[in-house]
Amino acid sequence: MLNFVLRRILVAIPTLLLISVLVFAVIQLQPGGFLENLLEDPRVSRETVENIRRQYLLDQPVWVQYLHWLGGIVRGDFGYSFLNSRPVSELIWERMGWTVFLAALTILATWVIAIPLGIYTALNRYGPSSTVLNFVGYFGLATPDFLVALLLIYLVLVSGGTTVGGLFSPQYIDAPWSWAKFQDMLGHLWIPLIVIGLDGTATIMRQMRANLLDVLNQDYIRTARAKGLAERVVLWKHAVRNAINPLISLAGLQLPTLISSTIIASIVLSLPTIGPFLYDSLLNKDQYVVMALLMLSAVLLMVGNLLADILLAWVDPRIRYE
Amino acid sequence: MDKRNNPLYLAWLRFLRSKPGVISGVVLLVLYVIALFAGFLAPYNLTVQHPDAIYQPPQRIYFFRDGRPVRPYVYQFKRERDPVTFISSYREDRSRPTPIRFFIAQGEPYRFLGLKTNWHLFGVPESEGYFFPLGTDQFGRCLFSRILVGSQVSLTVGVIGVLISFVIGILLGGISGYFGGRVDTLIQRTTEVLLSIPRLPILMALSTVIPASWPSTYVYLGIIGVLSFIGWAGLARVVRGQVLALREVDYVTAAVAQGASNLRIILRHIVPNLSSYLIVTATLALPGYIIGESALSFLGLGIKEPMASWGLLLKDAQNFQSLSLYPWLLTPGILIFISVLAYNFLGDALRDAADVRQRD
Amino acid sequence: MNRRKLLKQAAFGMGLGVLAPWLSGKVLAQQAGQANVPANLFQEIGKRGGTLTLPLGSTPQSWNYFAVIDNFAYTVLNNIFDRLMQLDQVTFELVGVLAESWTISKDARTTTVKLRSGVKWSDGTPFTADDVIFTFTEVASNTNLRANQAATLTVAGVPLRFEKVDDLTFRVVSNKPYGAVLQALTFSPIMPRHKLAPFKPREDPGGYSRVWATNTDPKEIVGTGPFMLQSYVPDQKVTLVRNPNSWRRDPQGNPLPYFDRLEYLIIRDPNIQVAQFLAGNLDQIPITGAQFPDLKRQEVATGKIRVLRGSTIYTSPPHWGFNFDVPNPELRELFRNLTFRKAMQFAVNRKRIIEDVYNGLASLPGHGVAPGTFWYYDTRSYLGEWSLERAAGLLDSLGLRRGADGQRRLPSGKVLEFGFTYASDSLPFSAIAAILQNDLRQIGVKLNLQGIQQGTLLSTATGGNFESILMAYGDQPDPQLRKDIWQPGGQLNYWHRSVWPERGSSEPKFDQMFPWEKNIWEIFRQAEQLGDQSERKRLYDRWQLLSAQNLPVIMIVKPDAVAAGHARLGNFYARDSRIIFTNFSMFEK
Repeated sequence: MLNFVLRRILVAIPTLLLISVLVFAVIQLQPGGFLENLLEDPRVSRETVENIRRQYLLDQPVWVQYLHWLGGIVRGDFGYSFLNSRPVSELIWERMGWTVFLAALTILATWVIAIPLGIYTALNRYGPSSTVLNFVGYFGLATPDFLVALLLIYLVLVSGGTTVGGLFSPQYIDAPWSWAKFQDMLGHLWIPLIVIGLDGTATIMRQMRANLLDVLNQDYIRTARAKGLAERVVLWKHAVRNAINPLISLAGLQLPTLISSTIIASIVLSLPTIGPFLYDSLLNKDQYVVMALLMLSAVLLMVGNLLADILLAWVDPRIRYE
Repeated sequence: MDKRNNPLYLAWLRFLRSKPGVISGVVLLVLYVIALFAGFLAPYNLTVQHPDAIYQPPQRIYFFRDGRPVRPYVYQFKRERDPVTFISSYREDRSRPTPIRFFIAQGEPYRFLGLKTNWHLFGVPESEGYFFPLGTDQFGRCLFSRILVGSQVSLTVGVIGVLISFVIGILLGGISGYFGGRVDTLIQRTTEVLLSIPRLPILMALSTVIPASWPSTYVYLGIIGVLSFIGWAGLARVVRGQVLALREVDYVTAAVAQGASNLRIILRHIVPNLSSYLIVTATLALPGYIIGESALSFLGLGIKEPMASWGLLLKDAQNFQSLSLYPWLLTPGILIFISVLAYNFLGDALRDAADVRQRD
Repeated sequence: MNRRKLLKQAAFGMGLGVLAPWLSGKVLAQQAGQANVPANLFQEIGKRGGTLTLPLGSTPQSWNYFAVIDNFAYTVLNNIFDRLMQLDQVTFELVGVLAESWTISKDARTTTVKLRSGVKWSDGTPFTADDVIFTFTEVASNTNLRANQAATLTVAGVPLRFEKVDDLTFRVVSNKPYGAVLQALTFSPIMPRHKLAPFKPREDPGGYSRVWATNTDPKEIVGTGPFMLQSYVPDQKVTLVRNPNSWRRDPQGNPLPYFDRLEYLIIRDPNIQVAQFLAGNLDQIPITGAQFPDLKRQEVATGKIRVLRGSTIYTSPPHWGFNFDVPNPELRELFRNLTFRKAMQFAVNRKRIIEDVYNGLASLPGHGVAPGTFWYYDTRSYLGEWSLERAAGLLDSLGLRRGADGQRRLPSGKVLEFGFTYASDSLPFSAIAAILQNDLRQIGVKLNLQGIQQGTLLSTATGGNFESILMAYGDQPDPQLRKDIWQPGGQLNYWHRSVWPERGSSEPKFDQMFPWEKNIWEIFRQAEQLGDQSERKRLYDRWQLLSAQNLPVIMIVKPDAVAAGHARLGNFYARDSRIIFTNFSMFEK
């Protein structure tokens, strides 16, 4: 297993290089750029722009720029944000904490809620509570995120609540951690969790239900039942374990998707994640920030994939990794 | 061959047993038929504005007068504007009942199957007033007509998008998982690279590349193409994971041992085993495109005026003002909901029906 | 555009400190008990304490004013730094802030400014003329800084000179008379020399641009304004507290500001701003005409909030520009034809746009100047009434006849159609586009709508990538400050790019200009070098008249200013159709 992990990490390096080329190419393809925008501003002298251009080697051939950028990353320097006049890595770190927290919490909540519900709906296929659960799941799938956010906030507002957007009430944002601040956060957290996690929950619930139904019809389950194993053992030791298997390869994909899906939710709900930061940087063509964030999501994906594969091998001994 | 032994026929029988599935299938069929005849069913043209009927609420249809059934009619509205808040309020003008006419020719002509015509199923003559079954928007455009015409866009792009991404995804995912080795590595790396870039930024970047002078249909189809070209990668990965597991299943190893050809193994043993999974994924992916379209509109990257789609129409309802004053603008959202729901129920029913191992 | 402008305007509104008229001439010592801000900001004397919470539409990029072009950073920084003088919110006249008085020499080439005495920076260092000289010579006119104001600090191509007279007096000298010199001084907040001079903005502009980034220790950000920075939580909140050295006093001599703290919550979505406001988490929000009905209804229903409307200079009036240099020769000839532009003006239904798009919160536009202000010349009679018949008649007279399909034909027989570029993410702009398209279709003109992102509007216009476009430029107190837009050949005069100067030349191509464009160019050249305000007003009147007659662009409407605040806010009110409030004069009732 250790061999496998090491090999995967070695393999990841060329993939990351490939991604860096792609990311760089996408940015180069964009018409204009931050400096071009700056040139259109009559306030800024041409020589200022040329100075910046020289300073960041933007007057050099594309491959020199690429190597320079790549060299910087290897040394841990992700470049410089034109917009904020600050190093990119600092800006990302400021927002990393909440991003990881929200993402991890969303994944956790999604799985903790979706897997049992998926099992339940598979076992009680035609019961009324199953229908209700399916319907809630469908509602999550069938309603656009921003509309869910807007409707939730509207409902809170109409019912006289004050927790409309953000992670804290204004007075707690810069207050030190306390029990009251924690409670305040819980009061705010449920809206973003629902908005970001609803369709993920619905997806996993449906997949779990479908997979479990598949597995329950497999021969080995019938054999296990025929052997006289307790239904509880058949279900949990054999059926559920095998049904979760395909979901795990799905889990590896969830991390980068979360970055995407939190962009809209974070803009609508004003959450301090890297989502709105990426959005702003894209609109303003702050290229080093965009490239750093895209690379970061690539690394997240690789870590996620690796974890999923290790998990997959662990739960499903049929898979061989030689 | 005996009908009763035909697996397709048996699956069909099982499908008919599922009430939600059948109902959903019918609903979708109706929606697509409506989309086909949208120009005829809509009382007004997509873009025609009525400055004197801005934000008019839906008109109620009456079937009885003085307790007796009569030809369906509506009342015209009287508009009043609050001098302080500038809110337009409408009141039914009981002195002006207007009967609804059927098969009426008026307004701007629309195209249908190459014909140009201005026949509409129903409507109220322009000389007598208006009939807006679902109210009007900011410019006094008939929301009902706009929803019908918008369905042509919203209901078709999902199908196109899913088709493209499925063909690529199943093919490459299957090859990757079955053959393994170098092919697997290559395809895996490609999917990883594609998947490692969040979809939203790619779309945003592409939106700045697409020329502003393109007609909105091209822009939209272009973005759908991009969506599905990114979409296949995720599917390919999951298909690969399934094939990887199935490859180790006894009956496949047995088939390999018997010297069956690769193609035969893929088609006879692996694809049938994946079918239920693929159907669930397809039904999940289809509505994903409908939702995706509305998200694009939210970011201002989707369909543009003067075309219409449900997502674009819903954009008008995305503020508290509309929620509290003009709630009928949410109707396109209800239609998105219904169609997505119908696809999901249909997919579930098909999954259960197609499951060949279910027979006891 | 509207929201940003409103934010900017809100930013302008604060920090307005004005010398009360009855005190001018007296020597002001910095003592408690002497009023030094204009009385018209006060509806009543406030009480001290509490927190004022306002929205901020995005994360500020830096605390270094001249290093970034960022209205959100400016909104915050305008509480921390003061300007020399600013416009009075009611009279729109210039009044002193850090400047106490000023005199302009007879030849209008030297302006001597006397500074307020006893003002201290928030770290206790005294404020002097050195700070002013540093700000203007090293920073504001430094073209190597991104947000420099060099263009307004230059007359006839020569930069203004700033000279120190004594600790509290300085002189501005120009080679030619400069009529807008005072307005030019209002653009730059004064920076602390003792903190920033060590970073050498002239020698090392790149390094200077990096100081005072948003992760700087707040104690380093030193200003003279009513508030000072206390903390910043990225993407969530900026907290300011009362500057203990604040020099402002209310009409009874009480120290200002009234609020202990000023907090900006970072909220991008305008809908959530409204929600937070209605939930009581925000005290005040800038709103647009589109949001007015619902909020006004809540005011009428609950009485918990107040929605104010008034006129202002700074809102951006949308206009319809035609590309005089469009590649298609037939369209080019048409767009250059005044009769065609007049026909298009007849098709602009301003009444409906005011009623339906702005909910009545807009009025007829001026031509380059905000109506109701000093420089405004009444050109309303030239706007004409909306009349599709007259528009059709003018098009007929140009020989653009309708074909069998109802579409008008160009002389070549092609259908008369052209592009209309607009910001599809702006509610008012897309509404205006839809109305225009609908009306023009009725007279056989096909408008092809091309929606683009608001952020790319300006570059699309100045790049000439359009046939016709819906644009908006904000109005400013003095026409001189907008000459880049309205003087033919100016960098923002996007509709006639063929008269732009050759690269390296400062003279526009006069031979490409229409006679009326030459007149306008000459008016701006003369007015720039005049000290006599009535003389300048005469010239600018003529410019507005020429614009109204020749329609370089078709002005649509001038939006009103609207603002919503909680009923508990004191000194937030409307008077003489002006919305009056500042962050230092408001208080919690």
